[in-house]
Parts: sequence; C-alpha cells; structure tokens
Amino acid sequence: MPLRHFAKWALIAPALALLLLLFITPIGWFISESLAELGSAGEVWLEAKAVLGSRAILGAILNTNGIALTVTLMVLVIGYPLSYALSRARGFAFSLVLICIVIPYFTSVIVRTYAWMVILGRNGLINQVLLGLGLAAEPVDLLYNRTGVIIGMTYVLLPYMVLTLYAAMKAVDPRLLQAAEGMGAGPFTVFAKVFLPLTLHGVTAGALIVFILALGFFITPALMGGPGDIMMAMLIEREIELSQNWPVAALMTIVLLAITLLLYAVYARFADRTEEGFAR
Amino acid sequence: MRTEHRLWVPSRRRFLTLSGAALAAPFVITGPARAAGQVIVRTPGGAYDDIMRRHVYDPFTQETGITVMPVAATVAKLLAMFKANNVELDLIDTGDGPLVTLGRMGALDPVDYGSWKWTKPEDVGAEYRSETRVANFVYATVLAYNKESFPDGKHPKGWAEFWDAEKFPGPRMLADMATSAPDLEFALIADGVPRDQIYPLDVDRAFKSLSRIRPQIRKFWDTGALSAQMLSDKEVVLGSIWNGRLQTLIDKGAPLGFDWTGNMIQVQALGVFKGSPNKANAQKLIDFMMQPAVQAKYAKDLQYGPTNQKAFGMLPADQVERMPGSPRSKEIGFMRNVEWWESNRDKVNRAWSRWILG
Repeated sequence: MPLRHFAKWALIAPALALLLLLFITPIGWFISESLAELGSAGEVWLEAKAVLGSRAILGAILNTNGIALTVTLMVLVIGYPLSYALSRARGFAFSLVLICIVIPYFTSVIVRTYAWMVILGRNGLINQVLLGLGLAAEPVDLLYNRTGVIIGMTYVLLPYMVLTLYAAMKAVDPRLLQAAEGMGAGPFTVFAKVFLPLTLHGVTAGALIVFILALGFFITPALMGGPGDIMMAMLIEREIELSQNWPVAALMTIVLLAITLLLYAVYARFADRTEEGFAR
Repeated sequence: MRTEHRLWVPSRRRFLTLSGAALAAPFVITGPARAAGQVIVRTPGGAYDDIMRRHVYDPFTQETGITVMPVAATVAKLLAMFKANNVELDLIDTGDGPLVTLGRMGALDPVDYGSWKWTKPEDVGAEYRSETRVANFVYATVLAYNKESFPDGKHPKGWAEFWDAEKFPGPRMLADMATSAPDLEFALIADGVPRDQIYPLDVDRAFKSLSRIRPQIRKFWDTGALSAQMLSDKEVVLGSIWNGRLQTLIDKGAPLGFDWTGNMIQVQALGVFKGSPNKANAQKLIDFMMQPAVQAKYAKDLQYGPTNQKAFGMLPADQVERMPGSPRSKEIGFMRNVEWWESNRDKVNRAWSRWILG
C-alpha cells in the first residue's frame, strides 16, 4: 500500500472505529434483534409490506421530507446573507454576531423550544404586538401547526448552515473579487459569476447537513407542531416506547436510514462532479 | 403511568436515541457503596425526586443505612436492559401500565408482601396491590377550565359538556397518544357511554366521538409540562390535565378551575426488576414507602393521593376532598383499566396514526 494511502486510512481509522462502535453496532444489534422477534424471513417481508403500505407511515414520510425541505430552504435564505455579513465583519461586530448564533446552540433544545412557544403563542409577544398595532383583528396562529414547526426547526438548525457557509466564504480569495471588479464587473455580476460559484459547495454541504438533521427531528415538531405534523422519528419513538413493537420500529428505522443514505449518495455524486468541474 | 416519566421532559428525552435505547449503557456508580448497600431506583426525575428524597429516601437511609440512588430510564431502556441480560437497577417506580407490560414479559419479581415489617399490606387498597406491582400514589386526569372564559358554575361539567362547543366555545386540548394513551375514555363518556361500561373500549366509536371535537382541539398534549404551559398561556381555555399539574398552576395564582366529574383515576406503581443486584433492599424500600405516615407526607407535597388508606386520616380534610382516589373522586370518576390498555395499545396506536393523519 502506498504510504499516502496508509496515512489517509490511519487518519480516518479512529473516527471509523468510533462510528462502528457507537453507531453501527448498536443500530445493527437493534435491527437484527428486533427483526429476529418476528421469527422468519417471510414474516419480516409481510411486516415490511404492511409498514410500507401503511397510510400513516407514508404520510409521515411525506411530512418528514416536506418539512425537511422547507426548513432547508428557509435556513439557506436566512443563512446565506448572515454568513456573508459574518465573513465580512471584523472585531466586535464579528464576535457579537458569532456569539448570537452560537450561544443559543449551547442551550437545551427544549428550553429554546419553550422560549419560542412564549413568543409565538396566541397571547405571545408577536401576537400582542400585531393586535396592539391593529395589524391583525385576532391572534394569528403561529404555533401548534406547520408554521410553528418550520420556525422552530429553522432556528435550531441555522447555526449548522451559517458555520458551514462561513467557512466556505472565508476561503474565497478577495483578490478574485477585486480582479472581477477591476475588469469592469458590477456588484451583481461579481456576486453571480464569481462569489456564488465559489461558495456553492458550501451551500450544498450546508443544505445536506441541515436536511439530514431535519429528517431525524423529534422534539421540536412534537412540541410546536399541530396534530397532523407527525414526522418519522416521532412514529419510531412511539413504536419503541409505547407499543414496544420493536420489529416495526426497526423497519421504520431502515426506511428513514435508506432515505438518508439515498440522499447522501445523490449528494456525493453531485459533489464529485462539481469538484471535477473546478479541477478542469 | 407511563405518564409520570413524561412529566419531566429532559429525563425522558435524554435516552431517546435509538443507540441509547439499544446500548442500555451502564449506569456509572462512583464511590464505594456503604456497608449496608444501596438500592437503585428508576424514577420520573425532577421535582418528584426532590420530594421523595425528603420524605422517603433520606429517612429510609437513616433507618437502615441503605443508600437510595434515583436514576432516569424510559421503558424502552428498561426493556433493552432486560433483553440484553444487563439489569443494573433494582426498583422501578413508574406508571402502572409499563409495569404490567414488564410483568407480562417476566421481567419483574413478585412483591414480597410477607416480609413487610413497617406496613400492613391490607392497609394498601386491594385495587392497588398485585403480585408483581404495588401502587405508591394515585393521580387523576381531570377537566380544567379557565375562569376568565367560564366563571365558576358556568363552566362545563363533565365530558359531554366539554364536547359541546356551541355552549362552551373556545380552544381545547386533550392527551396525545404519546402520553401512552389518548383520552378515548372521555370521548366515550361524551358520546353517552356510562362510566361503568367504558371497558372494553369501543375504539371506533371513541375515534368518531373525537372527530366531532377535533376542530376545537388546538393541540393534543404529549407531556405534562406542555399541558400546563398551554393552560397558563391561555392557548386553550378547556382541557384534560393531571390534577397535580393543575393544582400547581392554581397555587401559583392562575385563574383556572377543576371539574372532577368523570375524573379518570390512574396509579403510579413499584416493581422489583428481575435479576437486580440489590433486590432485598428494593423490597425493603417498598415496605418503607408504603407506610401511612410516609405516604401522607409525600402525597401532600405531590398533590397526588396515597394508596395506603390509613394515610387519608393523616391529611388535612380540605386536601383529601380534592385528592385522587379519595371517596369523592371514586364516586364521580372511574379507574383507568391499564390491563386493557397494555393489551390493546398497539392497535390503538395504529388507529391513532391513521386518524391523526387522515
């Protein structure tokens, strides 16, 4: 094995071992133990067909992907300008913005979610302002529906996007932008032809991280969503904790894992192409 | 309940990853246990632990020298421990329902009533004693109303009136499947089923009845904390809620009231984990916790009812009046049949998912 390859694998090994020990082994144990309860492969197949054919699970899969997609777009729309500002800010302003983004991240998700409930409720801050200014005749429903889920999740996931984009934007050589300006490009052209393409890999990486994290979300939709805002992770939790139906939970886990891996495969292909594109 | 561990959200969520459930990671026990040994108890955590430490665990340690260590664990975690043959705790203090399930799986040792020296087993209500579990407190799901919307006397009395959105308009809440069981009993009572004929539940009829009130439901609550928050923020003006949660809000001055008509009596219970390392100590702690004087103290602070009937005589009369499992609460309410729920939860869970997404 060439030394380069050996060094590469030696660097990856600890992370791989950790993943194997703490993630793949338990999941594998859980899935195989649970499915073994069903007895035979035929039984597993029957149960799998029942799971995939169930309206509740299809609904949850649609919900999960719809919510994850919307949240990813929201995070991107808010995160891109924010990251840009952050990458341009200096000194105190930089620290302030960074702290505002990162500090909430150290707070428990539950605490942050409850804080949102105080702000968004029927008698919450936003509705009091709207009613006080006469902008609304009666309280606007911002909570316990899809809107609430999107707001809550966007907020929780924003730091992942911002930090990823910040790294990508910081890596852009400012002289490239100056060169474009020097050759007569207006600000919009500089952005569209130089800055955006150079930060696009950050966008795809950030979007992927956010999307995949959003797929597994559980607490925020449970607390801020309406009756119909059921996501996959919530269904899995109910099968494990309430029904103690671990075979079905295992099958649902496989479905969620498959969706996640499929998306990752698409991304990996896409990311490879863009890198090749840059290389040429 | 399954319920009670849902009162304190963080302890519930802490273990909720699949890997966590599957790993059943060992509890780290630091320092040498005292000579008399220790007993590790699964508890709901939070404020509950503080009250139990004051009135049960510390006095127990003083009396016997045995240290009590409360830990958090969800039912799934307990099940994972049992399946992985890796039982690391002794006593399970949780809802009656999960204990029925664990008992049916053969994960519980019998409660050793014969060895009791502090408590007379017959003082504990017969409905609270069974072979593998014994209830340590009683709570109730009651009808809560906001007094600003419905002044006393003009509030809905019982579940049929709760269902009457024309006479009593306003957003409402009921329990979600995630609490372990939605309020199907109330739906049936509202639909005209007499209290003594609720079980076995007519699930289809219950969901039809729920569909009638659904447009008025702002949210189905999944934790005790959420139900309290929604009432105190006036997100809802009517709802089902555990009596202890509601009492806490009222004590803090919230303009809320109780209606005990059709209150649903539920119990929290103790069970000894089979294969536990300190099972003799676990049996002793059960005995100690069942004493009338001990129960009177913690029941008073928890706002929940005692299971030792002698404890009622040691509580202030006005508190007995609004205590779950008291003669009055039994007279106008009913007891939730956990055996039915443990046999049918899977089926109801599926029906619930179809109904909620339909």
